[in-house]
Amino acid sequence: MKMSPEDKRASEAMAPGGISREGFFGTDNRPLPDIVQADEEEMRRRGLDFEDVAEMLRRLIKEGGRGFESPVTVDGKWSVTVEEARGLVPCPYRDGCYPKSRVVIVRLDNGLRLLTTDLAVHLCAVHHFLQGRGSPFRMEPELLSQLFA
Amino acid sequence: MNAPALSPIVLLFAAVFTSNILLSNFLGMCSFISISGNIKSSNGLGIAVILVMTISSAINWFIDRFIMLPLGLGFLSFIVFIMVIAATVQILEMVIERISPALYMALGIFLPLITVNCAILGVVLFIQIRHYTFLQALLFGFGSGVGWWLAILALAAIRAKVDKSPVPSGLKGPGITLITIGLMAMAFLGFSGMLAVQ
Amino acid sequence: MPLVIVATLVVSSMSAVLALVIVLVDLVVNNYGEVKIDVNDGAKTLTVKGGSSLLSTLGGEGIFIPSSCGGRATCGVCKVRVASDVGPHLPTELPFMSGAEIKDNIRLSCQIKVKADIKIVIPEELFAIQRHRARVAEIVDLTYDTKLIRFSLLEPAEMKFTSGQFAQIVVPPYERVREETVRAYSFASTPARPNEVEFIVRLVPGGTATTYLHKHLAVGQELAVVGPMGEFRLHDNEAAMICIAGGSGMAPIKSILFDMRERGIGKPAVWYFFGAVSKRDLYLVDLFRELEASWPSFHFVPALSAPLPDDHWDGETGLVTTVTKKYMDEKMDKSAPKEAYLCGSPGMIDASVALLKSEGIPEDKIYYDKFS
Repeated sequence: MKMSPEDKRASEAMAPGGISREGFFGTDNRPLPDIVQADEEEMRRRGLDFEDVAEMLRRLIKEGGRGFESPVTVDGKWSVTVEEARGLVPCPYRDGCYPKSRVVIVRLDNGLRLLTTDLAVHLCAVHHFLQGRGSPFRMEPELLSQLFA
Repeated sequence: MNAPALSPIVLLFAAVFTSNILLSNFLGMCSFISISGNIKSSNGLGIAVILVMTISSAINWFIDRFIMLPLGLGFLSFIVFIMVIAATVQILEMVIERISPALYMALGIFLPLITVNCAILGVVLFIQIRHYTFLQALLFGFGSGVGWWLAILALAAIRAKVDKSPVPSGLKGPGITLITIGLMAMAFLGFSGMLAVQ
Repeated sequence: MPLVIVATLVVSSMSAVLALVIVLVDLVVNNYGEVKIDVNDGAKTLTVKGGSSLLSTLGGEGIFIPSSCGGRATCGVCKVRVASDVGPHLPTELPFMSGAEIKDNIRLSCQIKVKADIKIVIPEELFAIQRHRARVAEIVDLTYDTKLIRFSLLEPAEMKFTSGQFAQIVVPPYERVREETVRAYSFASTPARPNEVEFIVRLVPGGTATTYLHKHLAVGQELAVVGPMGEFRLHDNEAAMICIAGGSGMAPIKSILFDMRERGIGKPAVWYFFGAVSKRDLYLVDLFRELEASWPSFHFVPALSAPLPDDHWDGETGLVTTVTKKYMDEKMDKSAPKEAYLCGSPGMIDASVALLKSEGIPEDKIYYDKFS
């Protein structure tokens, strides 16, 4: 299937050397719409909602931001470390700019760890894009369900 | 080798409804399916198709009538028509960018996509094999464009609704879209006895 | 004539004609000829070749509009006011514009094309911005992830900046990065040495520019540095000065403090709170201890939010805002007028502004260089 011009433009911006040095696809060479569709099915199967997950992540990032790069424990359940670099990073779909953050969320009881960013949360909420397999910022639906269960 | 005795106005309506290029000939499917997920893009692409279809119908009619036919080069028409369509799209893109940046921003990304849209070539070839007069060709081209635009808008609207409905997971995406298109085509089939295009 | 020759002739001449038409249309349609740009109501008039974006046209004429995305309509930084009619706002501009800005005809200079004579209004300071060729003179490791990079300016050889401002380093394409990357860094050096500039660069994991500056840059190499830019600077008054910084936010504060020393500017009291996570994130402590020894009204307070057991840290522990509050409550003259200079992550700035306001410093006396 031909990609829509928006998806095509976003894919180019997501390639290595586009918006970020490593790109958003990791080792995944499926086309962008296929990744989104597969994850939409996977999320539905697990009973997860993109917007709910993003809302949860936004709250954790907000709480974690109070630690200025040192870990903050939220709800006694997660340890959140937020680092921010100068500048904003544009969304590959061109609908906004996000702080260059790097957020590590660790669930304290089972040690599961998620690396994410403000942009990654936006991509999840609005574009249902959880990034390609092998990307360091990939949000595997299985991991999400165990992280927030 | 004579033009069918059809009023160009009748032909215009026939092209829009009874022999809709998309739903009765199934031409231009790939962009139809991939773009129809978004109503705004569908509208932009539809308008671009109308423009390109009308203009390339007219230009190719002249080329067919005054170059290809007299020289007996009918077998070359595929190559020549597609070249003309590609060049038209190029020129149109440049002109629109100059005269209306806002329209260019809205249509610009869709125009190159149309070069390879088979509905355009299909319309031009229909005009050739049905021996339309110039006025017939012009209105048939315009009408087919409007028909394509209507069809993609209708599908985009239906898909927006389908997206919110519980579709079996195996059918999500292209699956349910193809079924939807099939149902739409059947509905348009109801028009088919009313008017003829040739 | 055999059919095959006729066919070949027709197809090739048709292609030639179409190509010719495209070229001709391109010549007519895309030729905007010489166009005049009137900057600031006649302060400067540029005669340029039309057809390119305002941002790149001005850049070619030596006027650098700050932009962080390089003309992709994603950062919304390159705003200028256009005083003549250049058509309605484009869909790509609208997300960055408020209603008042649209009314004022503020435009994204990367999105509007220079097609006819145009009048624009830009801040006077932008005239001072120049693109300098610069050679890397020294790279110093400050911590495991932070480097100080010193450039000697070659051409033009001097940059007239004020302490607290920043410049953009232009990182050339490398590896899979196909375009130049432009990133802003605050000066860590002082204006007393206008032919040398220093920046503090902290490695952003996966970051395009910082990875290059950390892993690929070598002493002796040449790069472009564009500046100076920014409005963060020392304010001349008799208020006690509170500086709060974290991470690479050290740079502008260092520049301002040493600039004060060099120019003999005094304030009743100068407090510098520097926040880090653990000892491995602290740097230049000795330098500020020396400054403290020679400058009685200056106090340097490093604070660690999560020191490691191995750090044997006996200094202040806690978030830099908590430590600042403690000092404001216990050690500072409550009634004396105060002002604050902040540089760090948005989270740190927001928390600091909230704290300082609650401690009674008016908002217009809190100056900051948010990382954005």
